[in-house]
Amino acid sequence: MNPEILIALPLLAAFLLPAARRIDASVGIWWGPLVVLANLVIAAMAWWKVQLIGPQSIALGGFAAPLGIELRADHLGLSAAVLLNLAVLLLWPRETPDKARVSTILLVLTGAGCGLAMSADLFNLYVFFELVAVATYGLAAANGKGEALIASLRYLILGALGSALALLGIALVYAKTGTLNLTELGGMSEALSGPAGIGALVLMVVGFGVKAELFPLNNWVPEVYAHTESRVSALMAGIISKLGILVLLRLIAEVFGGSPGLEFLLWVGVLGVVTGELAAYGAKDMRRVLAYSSIGQMGLVAVALALGGETGFIAALILMLNHLLVKPALFLIADAWPGSLKALAGKGRARPLGAVLFVLLALSLIGVPPLPGFWGKYLLLDAIFTNVTEGAGLLVGLILAATVVEAAYFFRIAARLFGSGEAAEESKIPGLPAVAALFVIAFLALSVQTGRVGDYLKEVVHGLQPQELRMAQSDFPDPAASVNGKGERL
Amino acid sequence: MNELLSIGNLLYGGAAGLIVIGLFAVVARRHLIRVLLGVAVIEAGVNLMLVAAGFRPGAAAPIFDPQAISGPMVDPIPQALVLTAIVIGVAVLALGLTLAIRIHRQYGTLDTVALTRIVNAPAGSPESRAMMQRGGGGHES
Repeated sequence: MNPEILIALPLLAAFLLPAARRIDASVGIWWGPLVVLANLVIAAMAWWKVQLIGPQSIALGGFAAPLGIELRADHLGLSAAVLLNLAVLLLWPRETPDKARVSTILLVLTGAGCGLAMSADLFNLYVFFELVAVATYGLAAANGKGEALIASLRYLILGALGSALALLGIALVYAKTGTLNLTELGGMSEALSGPAGIGALVLMVVGFGVKAELFPLNNWVPEVYAHTESRVSALMAGIISKLGILVLLRLIAEVFGGSPGLEFLLWVGVLGVVTGELAAYGAKDMRRVLAYSSIGQMGLVAVALALGGETGFIAALILMLNHLLVKPALFLIADAWPGSLKALAGKGRARPLGAVLFVLLALSLIGVPPLPGFWGKYLLLDAIFTNVTEGAGLLVGLILAATVVEAAYFFRIAARLFGSGEAAEESKIPGLPAVAALFVIAFLALSVQTGRVGDYLKEVVHGLQPQELRMAQSDFPDPAASVNGKGERL
Repeated sequence: MNELLSIGNLLYGGAAGLIVIGLFAVVARRHLIRVLLGVAVIEAGVNLMLVAAGFRPGAAAPIFDPQAISGPMVDPIPQALVLTAIVIGVAVLALGLTLAIRIHRQYGTLDTVALTRIVNAPAGSPESRAMMQRGGGGHES
């Protein structure tokens, strides 16, 4: 089946849902999960097809690349699509006044997210990014609580500001090159190495970085994650933040490799790591600790992306995969311990399984061998030593210091959990929710099979610049001629 | 034509001006509706910038007409992009204003400093409980 169905099916279902629920109210409950399940099957089939016959380029509506809009069905895009569908299905929100409305939001999120994962055209990336963004604003407010509404509105303002900046970056790229197709732009990196190109990259890092929880527009993260249902926080920290990074990954791997603007992304990442971990150390409740820790982890990913090269990209992908499995499980397990961290004393003995797994997952975030988080950080340091000539010591020092802070707050939580305290009261929340158990199992599988996953990630990184697409580039008409013979204008 | 005052430069200058005005509103204003309007002004600036990227002096509008004079046309792609961006901007602004209305009904304020205090109050603190009760009352009425 064609991968474009991954976008069309959930969006169509989302628009039909408001009409269908008038006929039968129960539609609101089963329609959404069923469509996402079907989409998951289609995504898995498309992913398998790429394993068999390799990446493909799809020209939407039959118009070929420079004029038409290109979709890229490659390893990266379809892996992301499979994980997105799976995560949405597992983390379907439950605390909501209107189930049908949340279904609509999640269907839009799924369709737009699949489109974002496969787009090979800057403007299409922007449109899908905005669709994902609008869906997440709705998701953040889905439980209808006052604080969640405020957090959602403040998130919307930062998000809209970021999108405008990203669009400005896209406008700069177009003004400079006259094209928005990533493959075509890949052959014109010379034109984007000047100040306009660097400015465009910086604007897009800031803009797309809002969703990726990157410094500086990430104030929304603790506010939103503290006041939504834990499943929504898990979904947003787990997969939606990764979609923002995915856009940057494609841009850097295909267009901006070696651009001086990557220095900016590097320091955005370092500042994210340092501020995130320090804020997590100072946070007073569990939700905010996990939210700030998420900012720190995404900062690490940004550093790895900025370093680039095979090692850097693989480090970024492993760190993302580790965070994608660990953080949702942590949010779900931490459901049993709401409120202040002080109230944690002795709670671990009432739910030993949940507490032990919480500590194990936290160890992977810190980067204790042989857990996957260790390999991510190890490759990251390796990439720093090979790629950075000046100031590598400072960079490594800052990242290791942040890791020590990270270890300090997680050990403090562990000490409280297993320390002495009043006998824990009985609670209806299970120590280990079933969905969290699934994430833990996937995490353990990743820990055992790190080598094999690493090999696949290498293939993903190589697939970012497929040979046939590179060669087809010369077949494109001269880019200056394709836009009414204008060429450069800035 | 005077190089500095060409229409292209006017467009770029106008775009930059709108973006600066909008950024000022976002950074310096405390009322959330003003902040939202600031974001809308920034978007207008960015859209103008996109249109400017496709501008050519003396060119015709990009409407296909066999009878028209066969001269140069303005680049149509940025105009198609701007149409999409305007629609997205309107939708996001509408969603933001909807949220603002619901927040105002519940808390009676749209002052960003007051709202930050509510959002950042630790769970179970007197402040958050007082706000919750007020909020609950407002919601029912």
